[in-house]
Amino acid sequence: MNLDLNGLFKFWSRRWDDILELLGEHLAVVSLSLLIALVLGVGVGMLVWNKPMSRSVVIAAAGVALTIPSLALLALLLPIFGLGWIPTVIALVMYSLLPIVRNTVVGLREVPPAIMESALGMGMTPFTVLLRVQLPMAWPIIITGVRVAAQVTIGVAAIAAYVAGPGLGQFIFQGLSSLGSKNALNFALTGTLGVVVLALLVDAAFVAITRITTSRGLRA
Amino acid sequence: MTKPLTDPARSSATSATPTVLPVATRRSEIWSIKRFVTPAVVLVVLVVLYLWLASLSLDSIESRTLNADYIIARVREHLGLSVVASALVAALAIPTGVLLSRTPSRAIKAVVLGAANVGQATPAVGVIILLAIIWQTGYLTALVALVIYSFLPVLRNTMIGLQQVDESVRESAFGMGMTRNQVLLRIELPLAVPVILAGLRTSLVFCVGVATIATFINAGGLGDMIVNGLKLQRYPVLVTGAVLVACIALLIDWIAATAEDVLRPRGT
Amino acid sequence: MPKAPNTALIQISGKTSGALIELNNVTKQYPNQPVAAVENFSMTVQPGELIMFVGPSGCGKTTTMKMINRIIEPTSGSISIDGRDVLSLNPSELRRHIGYVIQQIGLFPHMTIAENIAVVPKLLGWTKEKTSDRVQELLTTVGLEPGDFAHRYPKQLSGGQQQRVGVARALAADPPVMLMDEPFGATDPITREKLQAEFLRLQASLGKTIIFVTHDFDEAVRLGDRIAVLSNRSQIEQFDTPANILTNPANEYVSSFIGRGTAIKRLVLVPVTAAKLGPASAATRTTSFVQTTDSLRDALDALVLTGASALAVRDEENRIVGSINMEAISAVLGVEVPLLARTTEN
Repeated sequence: MNLDLNGLFKFWSRRWDDILELLGEHLAVVSLSLLIALVLGVGVGMLVWNKPMSRSVVIAAAGVALTIPSLALLALLLPIFGLGWIPTVIALVMYSLLPIVRNTVVGLREVPPAIMESALGMGMTPFTVLLRVQLPMAWPIIITGVRVAAQVTIGVAAIAAYVAGPGLGQFIFQGLSSLGSKNALNFALTGTLGVVVLALLVDAAFVAITRITTSRGLRA
Repeated sequence: MTKPLTDPARSSATSATPTVLPVATRRSEIWSIKRFVTPAVVLVVLVVLYLWLASLSLDSIESRTLNADYIIARVREHLGLSVVASALVAALAIPTGVLLSRTPSRAIKAVVLGAANVGQATPAVGVIILLAIIWQTGYLTALVALVIYSFLPVLRNTMIGLQQVDESVRESAFGMGMTRNQVLLRIELPLAVPVILAGLRTSLVFCVGVATIATFINAGGLGDMIVNGLKLQRYPVLVTGAVLVACIALLIDWIAATAEDVLRPRGT
Repeated sequence: MPKAPNTALIQISGKTSGALIELNNVTKQYPNQPVAAVENFSMTVQPGELIMFVGPSGCGKTTTMKMINRIIEPTSGSISIDGRDVLSLNPSELRRHIGYVIQQIGLFPHMTIAENIAVVPKLLGWTKEKTSDRVQELLTTVGLEPGDFAHRYPKQLSGGQQQRVGVARALAADPPVMLMDEPFGATDPITREKLQAEFLRLQASLGKTIIFVTHDFDEAVRLGDRIAVLSNRSQIEQFDTPANILTNPANEYVSSFIGRGTAIKRLVLVPVTAAKLGPASAATRTTSFVQTTDSLRDALDALVLTGASALAVRDEENRIVGSINMEAISAVLGVEVPLLARTTEN
């Protein structure tokens, strides 16, 4: 089958509002999930970072979620949560937890002992040390975890379209279901390219976000 | 009142550590109890699944799917796809990675690594479906899609693994008179093994996951059960398919992780 | 978060200089170790004293010091500051009234220098104005121009500068007690000497009670009002003024610690003016001289270097007030012990 570029451009010009809407949905569902995962993940990380037993259990559990194939996970959530946004967000949050929790724990632990000691020695309570010293210093690593999670979830969200999840995956699956018709390729290609562009843009955005949110004293 | 410095009681009290401690053997470290937690958990889950299924009364649709023959056939298809794809990727991407890492040209390396990043950003489901539209549906297409998709990450890990070998180690190897090939085979590759294996492990688990989606293009596998269960609203079928594929993914990840630890060169 | 004021702390914090520290039979036993790290350590530190803990690595000197602010908790025994039992206070609040400087400094890399110094004042609830005034004041005190340094980050400072910030940070809330663990250890010898000299000047005007841990005996001699020479399990081999220790080491352990060249080490403590100066005319060279503010060690140094039999001694206005030779120096060392005893009123 040859690629009909003209047809593709016509396709885009006719459906540009649909495309934008799906792009927006895709970004929205990913952002929402990342936000929830950030709060949950950092919170859990702050609870278990210095408790070896809980730490291994939590990281192992989060790792399991990441290993399970996305279609399977979505399918398992279906009987309980139905179709659409809710199982999608839940699945995306579960996939994001491992990179975020693990990076939080690693980041908190990597704060040099001398700094921990001088902070405690100055009279900060352990919680204050966690909040005002460790967390800011661990932030670059945590943000990297969120960045990795973003890449993963953008891909998974595409599959979630199968269970009526929002986003560009809908175009991809439309391409599948209209196999044989002349627009099948356009649908699938648009959906796929859209996801690629979104992923690259989001990754670039993270470089900027990291820079802005990291203290100047910490930047390499 | 003088205390002699060579007081034996004193000197033994000063040493915080006793004589040399016995070093735990590698074997016992790798095969500890913790190692077997994952397979144990998977086993428990499978047993629970089986018991649950046995307790249900299945209708005709369900019994057509939830029997040993059907399930084994699907598992075979699934594993076949995943393992073959990974083996192909290993055979193709690792040598390519080795060759590419030898080129002095930085531009080529940058392009490849950049392409790998773009590849990473591409959704697997999109690649599979695109390929099916352009070419044809079926097992072969799924295999090709898997290989295409996993190629770049393994390639990248191979290149990075070789690149991160300590420059001073390389230098002393050359300094001792090893040829380029000897340095590659005896020093660089062994030291890059952990990173390469990590890449293979991710690729393997990933293939298991994407093979699930292969159902959309009639490539078979356990994805069939999930999709059928969904379409026909038969939750036992759906759950069984999902749980089975999850267990396979976890087991394969466990096997790969163990292999990583076993094959890692001593001392790294 | 206003809380009912803890009277114990107010008593400690009400002072900005010299608190009495008493350690009574303090022991630290780690569970898996056959011997205690610190065993039955007892000591009384007078207000305003600068006490040096000297000993080899692993003898327990740092552990002992860290029990005073409960970074390490004692297994048994009691520690009190100005009569208040340290173990009964909330550790975090206790530490806000004790200055703490460690060898690796531990500046917070994500905060500016000003923010670093402001940490304890903020914890104590000082107003922004008071805090920023204090930051400016302290930076000037430790020799760092506030306009330049307040808004920089630790990574932009040299090792010596970071060390000064570490000291400034510990002084921020003007605590009556300071604990310092090899604070100048991580610097090169030239910077270290400068820091030591400035530190002495600072302490002269502040008069805080300071516990200073070092493994460098010469540093201890140079800085301390009294020195505690410690051996394993933090046993006190001798606790006395530097001069007394140098003149009368209690045992072989202390002697070996002092090392050789004891006589010359003692000279560091004695100013040129303590020697009987000869007539100015006796100076064989006037181009090389020593000042009245120099120590006998400097005089000996100059004599050896120039090979002169006598050197001129000048005062601050550069007038020649006499001459000094080897005999005069030896005379100081050999005879009057009272001459060497440093009084604590200095």
